[in-house]
Amino acid sequence: MFCYNCGCHLSEHDYCTACGADVALYKKIMAISNLYFNQGLERAGVRDLSGAINSLRQSLKFNKNNIEARNLLGLVYFEMGEAVAAISEWVISQNIRSEKNLANEYLKIVQSSSSKLDTINQTIRKYNQAYTYCVQDNKDLAVIQLKRVLGLNPKFVKAHQLLALLYLDMEEYDKADKELDRALQIDVNNTLCLRYKKEVETALLGEETEKHGGLKKKEETLRYERDNEVIIQPIHGKTTKSSPLATIFNMIIGILIGAAAVRFLMVPAVKSEYQTKLQEQTVEYGNKLDKKTAEIQTLNSQIATLQGEKDDLKNALLGYEGEDGAMTTIDNLLMAATVYLETGDIRETALKLEAVTLNTQVEECSESFQKLYHTILAAIGPELSEQYREEGFGYYRTEDYIQAVNYLEKAVYYDETNGQALYDLANTYRKMENVEMAKEAFQKLEERFPDTEWARRAADALKEYEMTEE
Amino acid sequence: MINFEEELKKFQPSLEIGEATEAIYNQDLTDMADLMVQIIKEHEEQESDTRR
Repeated sequence: MFCYNCGCHLSEHDYCTACGADVALYKKIMAISNLYFNQGLERAGVRDLSGAINSLRQSLKFNKNNIEARNLLGLVYFEMGEAVAAISEWVISQNIRSEKNLANEYLKIVQSSSSKLDTINQTIRKYNQAYTYCVQDNKDLAVIQLKRVLGLNPKFVKAHQLLALLYLDMEEYDKADKELDRALQIDVNNTLCLRYKKEVETALLGEETEKHGGLKKKEETLRYERDNEVIIQPIHGKTTKSSPLATIFNMIIGILIGAAAVRFLMVPAVKSEYQTKLQEQTVEYGNKLDKKTAEIQTLNSQIATLQGEKDDLKNALLGYEGEDGAMTTIDNLLMAATVYLETGDIRETALKLEAVTLNTQVEECSESFQKLYHTILAAIGPELSEQYREEGFGYYRTEDYIQAVNYLEKAVYYDETNGQALYDLANTYRKMENVEMAKEAFQKLEERFPDTEWARRAADALKEYEMTEE
Repeated sequence: MINFEEELKKFQPSLEIGEATEAIYNQDLTDMADLMVQIIKEHEEQESDTRR
């Protein structure tokens, strides 16, 4: 025992030898706590579990740090099927003393397998569901659920008690009696169980008296009990000889009584059992239906998302595919490269490249695609530009300005450094009296080729336009 | 004679494992020893106040 003031080990004296604090009362409190612990231990030993719980709780009220009392309390709770209460006590105990503590072992055993924890949780959930059924007055379902709970954990005293209460309410005293016996096997002195048991015994006695009320000559019967069964045997059995006709008559009456018993006793019982099963199945199917509906909703939303993604991809694919379904853009570029490498025909190569730009924006394509396109363009550009310029200029001479513009624009496109092509294009626009385009072309000449003859001529032309506008 | 509704009130839903942490935190762990130490301290404070 340690001093509450300084934490030193206490001696047999009523004061702390280290700090001088008065520890007489403190020692008494600790002694009472130990006394209650001993009482709890004794009660637990004879399976008076509810009594043990009371004593151990008292012990902890006097000394919360009584590790042995707390561990035993957890153990008693666990024995009664109260797993969460048990775990709580062990966790607190572990927090008070983390080493050399039995609670560590208990917690390790409980937490060692996830299936164990899962079973404990399932048992509690089912018990709570049964309790809810009771509150909602669904007693049949409550009975079914409690039977399941006890299937998972036969030591759950609270479940036995609730089931017994339900049987009592249904006036099924024999079943209630059995449940109470099972609960009392776990906790022999449980007050609630004993009270219900008394109620059951009174009811059973009443039934028995009612049954045997007609027997006037009690002295003529021998009553004795064997294996919880009351056997009533006549002392002087009379054997009467009956005629064969009477025997047949008795047999017929017996068969009729048997048939009536089947009709009025067994059929309703079977019917009731069948209805209970049906009810149980309905609940089960209801649960399954809810689960399936939730799954369907999730799948539907997934389908909608996937459909959207599919449409997007389809559109993207259409951008790459031609009418014939082939990847024409890439094909055309590859064909342009093949034609240039095999034949060196720059006009044919240019046609293929034009087909590429017709269907797609080169800047939006992949890096490698753009690289190949620009490499081909750089290889054929200057020569092709010059060819287009010569042809364009030929049309210019014959005053076919529309064709001239067509060729000269291509010449400028394929080689931006072809100043002559740009100058010829500007002059063609001038001849066509397309002032805007002509001015634009002359301005480009001034910007791209400063300090050249083309720039000087462009400046003169722009001046002329300005003067005309004024 | 047992009244089902009245008896049912004595039963309560059990705590699930997920609720154990909350149950542990909500437990009042004050014991007699704590109360004794508190009373002694209060008494000592009162004594020192009267001396002043």
